[in-house]
Formats: sequence, C-alpha cells, structure tokens
Amino acid sequence: MAVLSTNSRREMEIHHFPILVYALVPLLALVLQAWLPRLVTERFAWFDLPLVVTVYFSLSRRSPAQGALMGCALGLFEDALTHRPIGINGVAKTLVGYLAASLGVHIDVDNFTIRLLLTFLLSLLSSAMYLFVYKLVLGLAIDWNWIFELLKAVGNAAIAILLFPALDRLKIRD
Amino acid sequence: MESFFVRYRNLIVLLVLLAAQIVGLAMQVRRTDNGLNSLDPKDSGGVRLIRLWAYALVAPPEKAIHSAKDGVVGIWQNYFDLRNVRSQNEQLKKTLDRMRLEQAALLEDARQGERLQALLGFQERYIYKTVAAQIIGSSGSDHSHVFTIDKGSNAGLKPDMAVITPMGIVGKVRDVFPGSAQVLAINDQSSGAGVILETTRIRGILRGNAQGQPQIVGILADQRIKPGEHVLTAGGDQIFPRGLPVGTVLKVMQDPNQDGFIDVIVTPSAHLNRLDEVLVITSIEPRFPPDQLQDLATSNALKSTQADSDADQALRKASEIMAERLPGLLEPNVPADQQPLNDTSTPNPMSHVPLPIKPDRFSPPAAPSTAQPDSTQPPAGTPQPQGNL
Repeated sequence: MAVLSTNSRREMEIHHFPILVYALVPLLALVLQAWLPRLVTERFAWFDLPLVVTVYFSLSRRSPAQGALMGCALGLFEDALTHRPIGINGVAKTLVGYLAASLGVHIDVDNFTIRLLLTFLLSLLSSAMYLFVYKLVLGLAIDWNWIFELLKAVGNAAIAILLFPALDRLKIRD
Repeated sequence: MESFFVRYRNLIVLLVLLAAQIVGLAMQVRRTDNGLNSLDPKDSGGVRLIRLWAYALVAPPEKAIHSAKDGVVGIWQNYFDLRNVRSQNEQLKKTLDRMRLEQAALLEDARQGERLQALLGFQERYIYKTVAAQIIGSSGSDHSHVFTIDKGSNAGLKPDMAVITPMGIVGKVRDVFPGSAQVLAINDQSSGAGVILETTRIRGILRGNAQGQPQIVGILADQRIKPGEHVLTAGGDQIFPRGLPVGTVLKVMQDPNQDGFIDVIVTPSAHLNRLDEVLVITSIEPRFPPDQLQDLATSNALKSTQADSDADQALRKASEIMAERLPGLLEPNVPADQQPLNDTSTPNPMSHVPLPIKPDRFSPPAAPSTAQPDSTQPPAGTPQPQGNL
C-alpha cells in the first residue's frame, strides 16, 4: 500500500511546466489526433491523445478545477473537429480531468503501474460518458461497439507508457 | 460566503462547466416529426464560431505536417518512379489511346441516351467541373467519419457538394471554411446517399454502421441480392450524380430493428481509410464539359486515323495473302524488291513468251495481234475439224 499513501510530501508535490508546454502539448495532441489515425490505422482510431494529455496534466497539477478546465477545452476542440454536437467530448473529458486531478491528490501518480491503470480506466469512463450523454441525455441514435472502446483504452494506456516519461522531462525542476 | 466558494471552488467549477456544456448541447439538438431527437444540421452562430476556431488552430499545422510528409515521400518515390518512367509512359500512351476510343463510343451512347431522355422529359446532369483537394486530417474519432480537405470557400466549395474519387464516391462537403472544408464520409452513421443495385435495380439509402462500414438500409428482404453485385448512385438525393460507382455488396444481413428488412453491407469502391486526394464536384450541368468534348474530338480523329491505317493494312494483307497462295510467282532466292511481282520494269511477266523454233498453227503469234480475227478462221487454239482424216 506504499503507493497509495497520501501524506508524503513528494506525493503532494505539484508539478510545474513552462507556459509553452501548456500551450503546445495540447495543440500537438489535437493536431496529431486529427492527422495520425488515417495514417497509422486502417479502420478505427485506437487512441485518444487529448484524453491522455488531459490525464497527464491533471495528475501532475493535482488541481481538479484546472483538470476540469483543460479537459473541457480539449474536449470542445475535439468535438469541433467532428460533425457531432459540440460538448459531448467536452463533458466526458471535463469529468475525466476533474477525477484524475482529484485522484492525483490521494495517490502516488508517479508510480508507473498506477498511471497505466488510471489511464485505462479513465479512458473507459470517458467512453461511457460519451455514450451516456449522446444516447440518454441528448436522445440521439448511435450504434456502439464496446470492443472498440476497450481497444482504445488499451491504446491510450500504451501511449501513456511512452508519453508520460517524455513529458516528465519537461517539468520545471526546483 | 467567500469561504463557501473557496471551499467548494473545484466542485463549483465542475458543475458550471458541465451545466454550460449540457445547455449548449441541448441547443444543438431538435425534435423531429416522428418524436425522435436529431442533430440540427445547421450550426448556430456560436457553434460555427467554435468550429471555425478549432479549424483555424488545427488546419495550418496539419497542412504543414502533410506538406512535409508529402515532400519527403515525394523525393523518395520520385527516385524510384523515374527509373521506369519511359516504359510506363509508352504503356500509358497506348492505354490512353485505347481509352479515348472507348470513351468516344461511350460518349456517343451517352449522347444518344441524352437525346432519348430529352424525348422522355428527363434531364441527365453531367459532372461539369471538379476541384482537386488533398486530405489533411480527420476527426480523429470513431464516432465521426469526417475528414478535412485543404480547399475551402476560397476555391469555390459549398456545403452539400459531392466528393468523389475516380474509384467511387467518398462523401459530401459539410462545413466550409475559407481555407479548408469538412467532408462527411459515406461510412458515417449520419450520412445518407441514394443508391441503386446495378443488376436487381433495388433502391435504398446508404449510411455507415458502428463498424465504419457503409450499408444500405431499409430494403425489403430479397433473395436476388448477392455478394459481389455493384452498387451505384441513384441520383435522387440531389448531391451525387446518377451512375457513379459506390461499391460492391459484401454481405446481406437481417435488420435487427425491423422484421422483414435487410441491411446490405457494402465494400466501398473508394478506399475511404486511405484517401489522399479527392475531387469535389463544384458544378453539374446538363451538357458535356469542354474537356470531354475535346476528348471526343481527339477520339474521333484517332478513330479516322486508325480506320485509314486499318484499310492500308487490309490492302497490304490482301496482296500478301495472294502472294502466299501463288507460290509460283515468288522466287525463294530472290530479294523481295526484285521479285517478279514487284519488278516494275516488265509490266507483265507473262508477255515474255519464247518464240517457237518451228511455229505451227498452235503457236502463238510472234507479236500480239491487234487485228480482228478472221471470221472465217477459228480462233487460235480452237480444235479444227478433222474431216480429211
């Protein structure tokens, strides 16, 4: 349970990044999310880079309000690139950012396994929220395939393995 | 009061964000006549503004990345392409000539059809003008099969224009921005295109399913529909011209929501997931475009040239066949240009008949006689009566 302890100073540490990182990494995530799927996948997008970036910054900043705001902004921009109503991904990622930051206060988010597991679970939560808002809140018809969502969650976790250590290098060291 | 906001700051931010988005979502959905909700096809001013911002933010980097990728790939491919370009060019020229001839025949048929349709009161519309565009991005989501092209209103694009490739239809233009546009693919769940099965002539509506495959929905179960049948645009949706290839039937499934109806899964002719360039139909006119008319003129010229060439070859072949069938006229050891048939110095080789040493009545005359034969004498070679024997 050492990884779940909440009192150590290191666990409560808030990571800071240069302003450019806050601006460019989400933008790059949006651009690559729009560009990469048709380059590397044949049938479906098996990853969600804006979601991974939201989870990372929310865990690092440990501020639920900031996590929710970042998730909201990325989700809205992601929705704007589709032809679906704007706000579905926004709602889903707002919740994801809030929850990730809330969890980040209580658990050791530098632990590799926890990061992987959190990304996987939050990805599934995001899919469930998308379906909930689309089908139940808005009452729109949609065919849904949970296998794709499961594969996407695995893909997000795999990307987190590579992306999180790379972004860790951009932190401002004291 | 201040302590309340400070204490619940995070929760308040979350609730405000969620409430604002849900209200915004509710404004984008409308209730249809049949009691179901549907997405409002016309974006409101605020929604369009957000889309415009998103595209303004994402499209330039996408264009830059796409150009850089094309540049690197182009240099690499050009090196290999140049190695076989000459032979390929020759083959392509031959193919082009053949295609022109075929096109001329098809255009003649189309013109005849056009005249017949005019007689019947119909009016066929032909693709008159297209704009080529490159795909620079997608929605990045499985739930939205849309992609971004690098041409927008500056290039004359408008919403609901058809997007095609030479292989088949791709989708239609949805949102248009100054330098880019959003295209809704035919395999999206909210798309719709009128299609017709080529052989059975059954009509239906094409839209995407959850797996991202186009399927024809709302068809009554019909045993005649078989995998492999071609699917064409029906032309009734006012977006796609009639007769464009859509794909082929992959399989037929029972409609899970309606008894007695089937879903026809279609393999699209255009490779929707690997598209690089598309054509946007910007103008459809009830007449042939100038390019096709020019091709028709070229084809007609080619046809007449080929007809002359064929006639020459036919004549030459006739003489060769004659020569083969008369081997006695050819000397095997004599070159072709000195063969008796080709010897122009002696117009008629049979005129050199050797003179007999002792001429008799059967001998031909020494010189061809131009005089009229004596009516009292029988013509040469005619057997004489042997009355004195």
